Order: sequence, then C-alpha cells, then structure tokens
Amino acid sequence: MQLSFVGFAWRNVWRRRLRTALTLCGIGMGIGAFVALVGFSRSFEHAWLQMYESAGTDLAVVQKTFLNTSVDQSVGTTLRQIPQIAIAAPMIFNMMAVTPEVNTLVYGWRANTFEFSALNILQGRRFRDGQQEAMLGELLAGSLNKKVGDTIDLQGSSFTVVGIYRSNSALESGAIILPLDEMQNLSGMTGKVSAFHLQLKPAPPGISPEQWRQQAENAVEKQFPGLRAIPAAERAANNQLVVLAHAAAWGTSLIALLVAALGIANTMAMSVFERTKEIGVLRAMGWSRLRVMLLILMEAAALGAAGGATGMLLGWAALHVLATLPQTASIVSTALPFMTFLDGLLMAVLVGVLAGSVPAWRGARLSPVEALRHE
Amino acid sequence: MSSASPTIGTSPWILEVRDVKKSYENGTIEALRGVSLGIAQGDFLAITGASGSGKSTLLHLLGGLDTPTEGTVLFRGQPLGKSQNGVASIDLDTYRATSAGFIFQSFHLLPSLNALENVQVPMLGTGSHPHNREERARALLIELGLEHRLRQFPTQLSAGERQRVAIARSLVNEPQVLLADEPTGNLDSVNSAKILEILAQVQQRHGTTLIMVTHDLSIAATAHRHVAMRDGRICN
Ligand SMILES: Nc1ncnc2c1ncn2[C@@H]1O[C@H](COP(=O)(O)OP(=O)(O)OP(=O)(O)O)[C@@H](O)[C@H]1O
Ligand SMILES: [Mg+2]
Repeated sequence: MQLSFVGFAWRNVWRRRLRTALTLCGIGMGIGAFVALVGFSRSFEHAWLQMYESAGTDLAVVQKTFLNTSVDQSVGTTLRQIPQIAIAAPMIFNMMAVTPEVNTLVYGWRANTFEFSALNILQGRRFRDGQQEAMLGELLAGSLNKKVGDTIDLQGSSFTVVGIYRSNSALESGAIILPLDEMQNLSGMTGKVSAFHLQLKPAPPGISPEQWRQQAENAVEKQFPGLRAIPAAERAANNQLVVLAHAAAWGTSLIALLVAALGIANTMAMSVFERTKEIGVLRAMGWSRLRVMLLILMEAAALGAAGGATGMLLGWAALHVLATLPQTASIVSTALPFMTFLDGLLMAVLVGVLAGSVPAWRGARLSPVEALRHE
Repeated sequence: MSSASPTIGTSPWILEVRDVKKSYENGTIEALRGVSLGIAQGDFLAITGASGSGKSTLLHLLGGLDTPTEGTVLFRGQPLGKSQNGVASIDLDTYRATSAGFIFQSFHLLPSLNALENVQVPMLGTGSHPHNREERARALLIELGLEHRLRQFPTQLSAGERQRVAIARSLVNEPQVLLADEPTGNLDSVNSAKILEILAQVQQRHGTTLIMVTHDLSIAATAHRHVAMRDGRICN
C-alpha cells in the first residue's frame, strides 16, 4: 500500500485503537439514533403517502390552519359543482384507544366511498351508513383477536365487526373504519369532517394532468378562502402526525449528534495535544498551517465516517427491532429509505469536520519551533 | 563579512543573516544579540559554542523555522518571511518545503510510519504521485544502505539507522541547504562517523550547502568553515 495523505490521516486515527473505538461507539450511537428515528419518521410519512395514493385520491381539501382540521360537511355540495371535480368524499380520521394499551387510527368513511377500492375485504362485508358497524384491518384484527360477528368498544359505544380487510398500507391494515355518521357522533363532530378526498374528472385534451389539478386547486381555494386543496405527497408531508414524528425524530437525534460531536472534539483535542511535537516536525518539513489543518480535519472526518458506518448498522438493527414490536410493526418498514443512510453518513462526516475544526486550528496555530520544543 | 555585502535584493551568499537579534519572553531572554553572517553556496559550515549560546536559535532562523526579532535573513538575496522595503519575500513554508532540509539530534521520525513512509512525509499533500513518492524514498534509503530496513518502524531501528532515515527524509525534496542540529549527539562514535561521512558526501556530490551545529570541535574541524558562538554573538 502506497502512503497517501488520507492514508496518513487514517494511520494516526488507527494508532490509538482503544480511544478510536470508544469514540466510534459514541458517534455510532448518535448516528444510529438519527438513522432509526429519522428513518422511522420517514417511513411513517411514506406510509401515509402510499395510503393516499393507493386510494386514488387526487386532492384532499382541508382547513388552512394546521391544528384545527375540521371542515363543514356542507362544503361537499359546492365542491361537487366545481367542473374539474368528479367525486368529493368526506372523511374523518382520529386516534382512539381500543384497549388500555393500544391506540389505533380510526377512519370515518361513507359506505359508498371510492376509497374502498384500495381495500380487499377478506371476511364479511362493508358496513352500512348509520349502523353501529365497524371494519377492522387484518393486522389489528389479528392482534385484538377479533373476527366477523364480534363486537368492539370505542369510547363507550359498542360496534359489531362486520368485515375484515387487507390493505397495502400499514396505516389502514392496523386501523378501524366506521361509518362516517357514527364516527361524527363518536367524536362530537356532527356536521363536520376532517377532510374531503377528491377524485378529479379526466383532464380534457390539450390540458396536462398537472394543469388540470392546479385548476382544481385554484377553484377550491377561490370558493373557500379558508380551505386548502393539496396533492397526496404534500398532504403526507403536512399530516399532523407526520410533522410531529419528524420533529421528535430530528430533535432527539440532534441531541445525540451533539453528544457525538463533543466526543470527537475531545478525542481530536487530546490527539493534537499529544502530537504537538510531531506537528512541529511536519511544519519543519515544509508543511503549511493549512496542510496540517487539513490532516487533522481529515482525521476527524475519518472518525466521523467510521462512526457513521457504525451508526448505520446500529440504526438498521434498531429499525428491525421496531419492525417486529407489535406497537410499531404496522408503521415501520425495514426497507429504510436510502436517503436516510446517505444523510446519516454525510451528517457523521460533517459532525466530524466541525468537531475537528477547533483542535485543527489549535494544532496549526503554533510556530514550528514552539511545537518542536513541546514536551 | 556582511558589512561588505550589497543591499537587499542582491547577495553573493546563498544564505545571509544581517544584524539579527532574537529575544524571547518579551525581550528578557536575548538568544541572539546581533549576528551577521554570509554562507556561500555549497559550503560546509560548522557552528560551535557552549550550551545556551544561541546555536539552535541561529539554525532555526537560517532554516525558516522561526523569524528574527530584529534584522533580516536572506536566501539568494531575498528576505525570508516578511517582505522588506518592497523586495519580494520568500514564504517560510515554501522555503522549508523546497529549499531547506532539517536533521535533528533526536531524529523526530513519526512513530506510526515505517522508514519508507517517513521519508515520504515532506512530499505528502503536494500533489505528487504516490508511486513516484515511494520510488524516490526507496532510492534514497537504498543509497543510505537501508535496503533491508524499508518496512521497519522507528522503534525497530537502531539510532544510527533512524538518523539515516531522517537524512533521507531531509533530502527527499532536493534541498539546496541542509541544516543539522547536533545530528550525531545521540549516536556512538562508529555511527557518528558514518553519519558525518554521509553528510559530507551529500555536500560534495550534490553541491548542497551544509550547516551543522555541534559541540564536538573535532567534527567542526572537518568543516570548511567554522563559526564559534558565545552569548548570542559570533566570536571568531
Ligand atoms: N522558545 C524559547 N523561549 C525562551 N527561551 C528560549 C527559547 N528558545 C531558546 N531560548 C533560550 O535562548 C538561549 C539560546 O538557546 P539555543 O537553543 O539557541 O542554545 P544552543 O546554543 O542551541 O544550546 P544547546 O547546545 O544546549 O542546544 C538559551 O538561553 C535558551 O534558554
Ligand atoms: Mg541547541
């Protein structure tokens, strides 16, 4: 192996194996937390997107405000008169406790909504509007051990399970669907819905589907200045639960990354101090301050990258654990977005470089003679 | 000698110090109290003197490791470090990297690199090709009789071998000036003789200017020229 600048940096890191290993553990845990948490929140968002898309929803109409998402059901009549719109299906979604331990997503749909087309009824039948009837996703039915004909209690009301369905989306296969009107009673939302899911008419010749969709969005927002019409991808990203999950994931992993950065900074500061004399030798051999700084930054980046790789493994393992836990299995896919790995690695290198910059500056600051005299 | 030298910008010397003073600790320690000296290209100069007389300090200034508190050091008539009176100066890093080579009493090899790699250190990060670097280092080590020690780490080498690796390292960028601070100070007489022979050969064959600090007057006697120092001044 011929010696390269990078190889030299790596050799310096490798020289103190135990210290390097301990530092790597620290960074590994920080990056691991990042990969697991951010990966989790991204696969959560992805699950929503998949669900919106597989149902064939072109646009969703919701309140403009972030927290209050209820819309008057009467809006539907006007929406259906907008020329681009074929169907405007009202829906509600909410989290409810089905047992003291298990919270699940509960949707309120009309019995005739187009969204049923994405579901495959395995047992029983669709519910009827105005009846105390419920349909359960197969995952939830399995974990609650319910079959058609059983009853399920929600917020004090009892519903008969009339159907069990399969869905590609984890958010539906772990959920309950009730008739919209029953759901409105249950959550005190008489006359209100969470959103309208729109299917558009086919775009006329000469107009692209994007233009057509844009026209529909504009028409809705012109009719109802308080409402927003948003496409599926945007809706998944702006879903309250998704936003919360992202915020929690980033917040927690940034703290973990900060701790990792301090670990690198400490390691590099020690290693630069110990090698002051060596740095003096490098300077005497004609190395400029800049080259010395680059070397130290390279060492810090190498630590970061190796720690990042450790973190990938830890994060990947953590996601696999989450994917097998009953509480989280329904929303975690182990097929981790590749971007999360890439982000994790970039983040690790960046953290390394940032954490190494102060030690690098300190190492390069001394004059060659001062550094050589260092004992 | 320097009083006769012409103005800045032209100099018959490869290295020249003019009225140089160097003090430490806010002037309370005066290591050099006014030194002027010209060194001809290809010369072999020995610097002797008692401990603390300022030998290393002077060598460091000549090698661009440090800058004088007062006065100027010129390389081929151009000032080292800060530019003066509008005459373009030579950047110290560049000077050390391209024109000066250093040899120390305690070798200062890098412990994590083997002999072959230690010799390449001055060339790292200069954009030179790794293969060429290695070939150059190998050739030098073989020339210095270390063909069986190429992959050895410093701790696996004898003191004499270490100093030979350090000499190879100092020569790798083909310096015009070779500066050695007590290069035989940690060696026995056999190894000392060998190192001195190698240095004299380099000086003769390549026309390298050799400046050596030594305690040993018998070593100084082998030099072409001998400068003795006392209390921060040249006294002969
Ligand atoms: N960085 C420094 N800070 C303070 N004093 C210094 C420094 N460098 C050198 N000195 C002082 O300057 C004087 C000359 O030092 P120098 O190292 O040049 O002596 P020397 O002739 O090389 O001695 P020796 O033979 O012991 O190596 C000494 O008194 C030394 O203590
Ligand atoms: Mg000395």
